[in-house]
Amino acid sequence: MEETVIAMEALDAEIARTEKAPKQIEMSANGVSVWFGKRKVLENVNIDFPKKTVTALIGPSGCGKSTFLRTLNRLHELIPGAALAGEVLYEGDDIYRQDVDPVHIRLAIGMVFQKPNPFPSMTIRGNVLSGLKLSGLKRKDHDELVEQTLISAGLWKEVKDRLNAPAGDLSGGQQQRLVIARALAVNPHVLLMDEPCSALDPASTLKIEETIRELSKDITIIIVTHNMQQAVRVSDYTAFFLAEENQPGFVVEQGLTTEIFGNPRDNRTLDYVNGRFG
Amino acid sequence: MTTLMSEAPEIREQDLVPQRPWSKRPTSFWLAALLGTAVPLSFAGVLYFTTEIAAPLLLIVVYLPLQLVSAGVAGYVAKGKHGILDSGLIVFAIGSTILSAVILGSMLATIIARGFEALRPSFIFQNSVYISPSTPLDYGGVGHAIVGTFLIVGIATIISVPLGIASAVYVTEIRGRAVPYVRFFVQAMSGVPSVVAGLFVLTVFILTGVMRQSALAGAIAYAILMLPTVARTAEEVLRLVPEDLRTGALALGSTRSRVVFNVVLPAARTGVITAMLLGVARVVGETAPLLLTALKNDQTVVNPFSDPISALPTFIFDNVAQPYPDAVTRAWGAALVLMVIVAVLFTLTRLLSGRNSMNK
Amino acid sequence: MAAETPLRDLSNSKKANRADRAFSRVITGAAFTSLIILAGITIFLGAKAVPVIQDQGLSFLTTTVWDTIGVPPEYGIAGMLYGSILLAVIALVIAVPVSIFLAVFMVFIAPTRVSKFLTNLVDLMAAIPSVIIGLWAFYVLVPPAQEWQSLLNQYLGWIPIFANESGNFTGTPFIAGVVLAIMMIPIVTSVTSEVLKRTPPELINAAESLGCSMWTMLRYVALPFGRGGIVGGVMLGLGRALGETIAVFFVLKIVFDINFFNIIESGGGSVATLIVSKFGETSGDFEVDVLLAAGFFLFLMTLVVNMLANLIVRRTERLKS
Repeated sequence: MEETVIAMEALDAEIARTEKAPKQIEMSANGVSVWFGKRKVLENVNIDFPKKTVTALIGPSGCGKSTFLRTLNRLHELIPGAALAGEVLYEGDDIYRQDVDPVHIRLAIGMVFQKPNPFPSMTIRGNVLSGLKLSGLKRKDHDELVEQTLISAGLWKEVKDRLNAPAGDLSGGQQQRLVIARALAVNPHVLLMDEPCSALDPASTLKIEETIRELSKDITIIIVTHNMQQAVRVSDYTAFFLAEENQPGFVVEQGLTTEIFGNPRDNRTLDYVNGRFG
Repeated sequence: MTTLMSEAPEIREQDLVPQRPWSKRPTSFWLAALLGTAVPLSFAGVLYFTTEIAAPLLLIVVYLPLQLVSAGVAGYVAKGKHGILDSGLIVFAIGSTILSAVILGSMLATIIARGFEALRPSFIFQNSVYISPSTPLDYGGVGHAIVGTFLIVGIATIISVPLGIASAVYVTEIRGRAVPYVRFFVQAMSGVPSVVAGLFVLTVFILTGVMRQSALAGAIAYAILMLPTVARTAEEVLRLVPEDLRTGALALGSTRSRVVFNVVLPAARTGVITAMLLGVARVVGETAPLLLTALKNDQTVVNPFSDPISALPTFIFDNVAQPYPDAVTRAWGAALVLMVIVAVLFTLTRLLSGRNSMNK
Repeated sequence: MAAETPLRDLSNSKKANRADRAFSRVITGAAFTSLIILAGITIFLGAKAVPVIQDQGLSFLTTTVWDTIGVPPEYGIAGMLYGSILLAVIALVIAVPVSIFLAVFMVFIAPTRVSKFLTNLVDLMAAIPSVIIGLWAFYVLVPPAQEWQSLLNQYLGWIPIFANESGNFTGTPFIAGVVLAIMMIPIVTSVTSEVLKRTPPELINAAESLGCSMWTMLRYVALPFGRGGIVGGVMLGLGRALGETIAVFFVLKIVFDINFFNIIESGGGSVATLIVSKFGETSGDFEVDVLLAAGFFLFLMTLVVNMLANLIVRRTERLKS
């Protein structure tokens, strides 16, 4: 009896998610190939990211997921020898067009990294507001913004009494949520997350997953993860990346998360999501 | 179960205390070491007191060979054939260490002992107007030279620190095409002899009539010598700033300049200060450039543009070779003051870099 | 979250972009200060050297005359150039073994606490101003050093380098070399100990597991591994020794004739010291130009040594990485 109820609830959730599906496209990658020097690491990736959804990028290590993520906010170009073909559209415009300022793109498309990287010379509050300072944005309601974003990142209760403590005092999980708050403070439309939980303990991971689900009501999230359960728990869509030895990575299969995990079309996907390799 | 428990051997108390059995050496080792040092030392000592042989001769002709042989024997006893060469190595290593320590100890001891003869409040606070080499120590002092040193070093810091940091920022943050060249030139510049820096300022600014021999001219020469030290140290500390912070800031939509000013430099704050202090320590005792570009002055000078000026190193230089004992004592006094400044800088850099490495 | 805000207009970020480009340009410009100064030294001192060479011919570099009142005056710095090199070689011969043994003691023999203390000691030694070293050498080192030299002469005088006919043991190249060695020891030691510390532990472990003694480990593992770095450090010290002025000024008697190898005979040469000792008593502008020309050749000499040092260090670094 109990089991049926849980199953029903899960089904309801799935239906709710699927209903979100036919939405406007926020970002899309069209025929993106990526090189480091002469080595091609990604081949012809085509993915659409619908507005206000969570897309998980999964696949074994070294298949180019993180590299792909970094092409989406033009961090990729900071690596010497980096090159790229194809186009990345954000709200219908190619972000690599010549007259587009990368600073502008990175403001609209925020990012959270694998290792929490709060600025050590700043306080907790200073870290949240650092995006404004660094990008030269002006806002007056600083206190409100700090509270808002920390609430969104699920950190407010823990730090509201010590906003002026150095950020280094926080635990790893708290630091990661602080970094999420920092990214939210500049009001991005898209948030890229590069294995945000891989350096964290299970309790912190759970908190961050809650935060992700909460955030996806307002913004588009693209998350790279190695944790298959996590992909199932947080994402609406999933893309499975794979790279053969010494070959560039490519997308094997993509679609609704329920499809990829429940009923994959490709055998390699089946093997991977069932933990047979990678 | 119970039988197993009762059969377990009784726990000895010494097994509960952490021990290092591998650091215990056999008695023969200590005996050999003792004999290896005591025998040659006492033999040379006896010769020193009973014969007329000169001490350096005794040291090199008697003690050193004896010490090598006995250490070799001791090494053979303790470790076998391997031990012979090893013990020779150890004798030379310890010998070199003692030699260096004796040299440094002698310098510090002499500076302190002779410097204190000159030290009194008037020595620190007065200048040397109307003071001749034969004037007693109760009159006159190095106040003007202390002011001179601070003035010259201060201006040199203002010139060289921003340039040095900029050079480091170019290498670690801008990462332009010229990075290898910039590093090469900084490296090459660190080899410029101090007297050449003085000659350069002399030709470009003084012989051309642009400025007089003054604190500013001396400071430019100092800045030339400081720049490579500041640039190289700053480069090293900026390199220690984790790449994550830079990408993190860029991902927030930061511009390059804001990454540098708001993230990288604050994160490397103590290191940048260390770079500055090392630069100051590099030049604070330099004499040759000042002899060419600042000359000397017995009065206290505060205007960096107008007049020749004395600093502590040039004050020492002027007083060393005088045939008057009081002038020489003044030189030692100035050396003590200069050494205190160097020691303060040295300790500060140590403390700062210690804190730096603790943060990591 | 107010995610509905429209895209920020580009004008703001364009301004930021312009500021950023200006920033890059300023930094890039400032980064070339060292090139500008090096070029400046070459050009300005070189410009002073050209008329001197035109006037004196190559004999400026090959003769040993210093005749300021002659008609015409004649100058030759061969003795000074040779003297600078001789002093540096004496300093090398003394400083290199001491430094390497000291570094070996710090890295492989001494307990951690002693090793830390010695690191501080070496760094402090490097921080002592040369004028203080000169002062110490003049009053503390020279008197006993005279005795050592006379002993050397007494027992080993039959070897040409230890010959001394004047009986005067002050102001000798040997003492100046010892003083330079004292200034080189901290430089060479700190570079060497840094290099030795970087010997890969797996190599040391491999040697130890083969039952290697400390000597063989050094001889076949640590020293060959660090050779390039050590040579580079020695060259850096050599550059410093060639350019040292004040400490040498106090202990060396400058004579213009070349003292080829009588290192415990009074009198020797040093370009850097010549410049300072003659600067206060120049007889007219041309003699100043002569000193500037001497400085130019000193600069070239140290520049070459320094560049070679860097080349060696860099090549070994590249080989290892």
